Amino acid sequence: MTITLYDYTLSGSCYKVRLLLRFLGLAYERQQIDFFPGRQHKSLEFLEINPLGQLPALRDGTLMLRDAQAILCHLANTYDTSGQWLPRDERFGEVMMWVMFAGGELMNSSAARLHDALGYKLDIEAARANAHAALRVLEDHMTGREIAGRKWIVGGAPTIADIACFPYIALSGDGGIGHEDYPALRNWMRDFRRLDGFHAMPGVAEFV
Amino acid sequence: MGIEHNQWRGIGLDRQVQPASSNPVIVNGEMLAMWRGENGPVRVWEDRCPHRGMRLSFGFVRGDSLRCIYHGWAYRTDGQCVEIPAHPDLTPPKTICAASYPAETRYGIVWTNLERAAPSPLPDLGPEDGWEPVRSLYVNGSAAQVEAAIEAFDFGAPSMVRLKHANAIALGIGVELELLIALQPVADNRIGLHVVARGASTPETRASLARRLQRLRTEIEMAQEKK
Amino acid sequence: MVATTDTVARNEWVPCGWLGQIAIGTNLDTMIFGQPIRVARIAQDDYRVVELSDAGTEGRSLPVQTRYNCIFTTLGEPTRALPEISEFDEPDRRIVGCGSVGVSTCPYRLIENFLDLAHLCFIHKDILGDPEKSEVLAYKTEHRKDADEIWAVDCSFYQPAASKASTSGQMTKYIYRVMSPFSVMLYKTVNSDPSRNDAICVFIQPIGETQCLAYMPMALVDDVSTDGDIIEFQQSIFLQDRVILENQRPALLPLDPTYELPTRADASSIAYRRWLKAMNIQFGILEKQAA
Repeated sequence: MTITLYDYTLSGSCYKVRLLLRFLGLAYERQQIDFFPGRQHKSLEFLEINPLGQLPALRDGTLMLRDAQAILCHLANTYDTSGQWLPRDERFGEVMMWVMFAGGELMNSSAARLHDALGYKLDIEAARANAHAALRVLEDHMTGREIAGRKWIVGGAPTIADIACFPYIALSGDGGIGHEDYPALRNWMRDFRRLDGFHAMPGVAEFV
Repeated sequence: MGIEHNQWRGIGLDRQVQPASSNPVIVNGEMLAMWRGENGPVRVWEDRCPHRGMRLSFGFVRGDSLRCIYHGWAYRTDGQCVEIPAHPDLTPPKTICAASYPAETRYGIVWTNLERAAPSPLPDLGPEDGWEPVRSLYVNGSAAQVEAAIEAFDFGAPSMVRLKHANAIALGIGVELELLIALQPVADNRIGLHVVARGASTPETRASLARRLQRLRTEIEMAQEKK
Repeated sequence: MVATTDTVARNEWVPCGWLGQIAIGTNLDTMIFGQPIRVARIAQDDYRVVELSDAGTEGRSLPVQTRYNCIFTTLGEPTRALPEISEFDEPDRRIVGCGSVGVSTCPYRLIENFLDLAHLCFIHKDILGDPEKSEVLAYKTEHRKDADEIWAVDCSFYQPAASKASTSGQMTKYIYRVMSPFSVMLYKTVNSDPSRNDAICVFIQPIGETQCLAYMPMALVDDVSTDGDIIEFQQSIFLQDRVILENQRPALLPLDPTYELPTRADASSIAYRRWLKAMNIQFGILEKQAA
């Protein structure tokens, strides 16, 4: 089966998928989409791939998927024989809860970044406030995890919950959302960046 | 400046500052880098590389040196620049030195003072043994609002203020538990709380206290919103 | 925001949009030097720029030029023409624009970052530099008084993947050219033909003292890469720098040479800061110099 990722390097959502592909050691073809300034994700050709006009999209054999979170679930479900990245036990629900959070509330951080870097017109104060509120929810959770002697969002090893949340927390500074108030998130991000197979993207520091 | 300036403030929990890490902290609008080498105590520096102004809280640690992320300049724990990668054979001049602030670790809390030249001694807040970190959290509210809310807060058992200092409050809760809360003024309407406990020996007790403090934060911010 | 009264800044040409950004018959409202402006596209190649009042009414018309994939305007009476960059006129060149990217800092920090060789191996590791080969060899800087430009010549640096078309590491030769306080470019060895140079520009639209838009038009010798590849490469480099730029303190540029301490590798930055000081520019500078 050939996996094709419709990808834009600077997209944090595409980066989630690239991270898991790397962690799983999966080979894939990369179809680059000129998101900015070309707006190729809104082109007639791309709308046939994803009618929502959003990145990433992934073709796996005959299966065509959109939404970073759904793609993470599919890849972990299909290719992770260890079951580490998407546990099928009592941890499943909690992993999915944080995966949904990454595609929901946390996307305010992405919105702030699109505003500040690429000039998207939106209510930047609201985006930043909502992003801070989301970061705080995960900060509170990770504070509890630290007290319990745990490093990762769910369970004893990193899961797709960590992968899904990492990019737009690490990139939040691009949208004017600093990490000063989030000591537990800073520690978690540092641990994540030290994982085998981790690679940075522009805006995420290379050196740990 | 003056009296206001020369004060010790808690800025983090010692156990939460990982070895080989650099972290951003803001005290009264001053940007600081709180970092730790692979070993040793936490240091507090001005968050500005003397070379081109890059924030050192974005830096990375190798051994006992903090390196600026921009050009890799390495600074020893005393602030002296010891390596400039662009000029591998150069011994950096003494003038290239990161500005450091006084830093002390006591009660499990990292303290700093913006007065660099002649800081007053770190105040005595009682016996040092037996404190366990609970958590840090940041609240929208003034120092006065936060202090008043802490004093009035229902910690789940009768509580009593044991000691009040300019930037710290110690509370007794029930018969067994003591809390020490250090207050970090970030800006006029934003306060960091660094909380340690004595008598909270199990992780479950500390986790329960950490959740209780979220409730305190929500109370303070809801009261703010009503105004 | 208040429009700057600094005539040195007001008399420079600056970009205010990229070609293709505005559909024919529509407007783009933006700002230069704290002054709100409206850029209107009347026809294919016909753009008009006017000042806007705080209430949004149209006022004075401003001069317009379109070149290098950008729309340029000015608030004052420029003594300096738009720079001549002949590579953009060569028929076999790929002319690629990358849109514009917002950055919260003063314009000069962007120019200095572009001139900086020593950061390449840390911020653009594995692409434009290798931390094991971090040395910056001596190079020359010149103030070319005829054109009033700052040049840095004889620059060279080891690069693992110098451009989209690179297949291996190389010592890349660079020539830098600062054409105005708000524009800079570099000439860089072409992979396939060492006798020619790629020309890569950065033009800054100063929105306010610590708010900019950066435009990066390029004239390349590359018949392999797609436009998308080239744009993505250049944007990736720029987004790596953007984190640095937004976290330099202070955001305004200090001209006092003891405030930020340079080394020999910063010769181009030293020359640039001296030049800015000599022209007595005020906008975006930390020290408010005597007028």
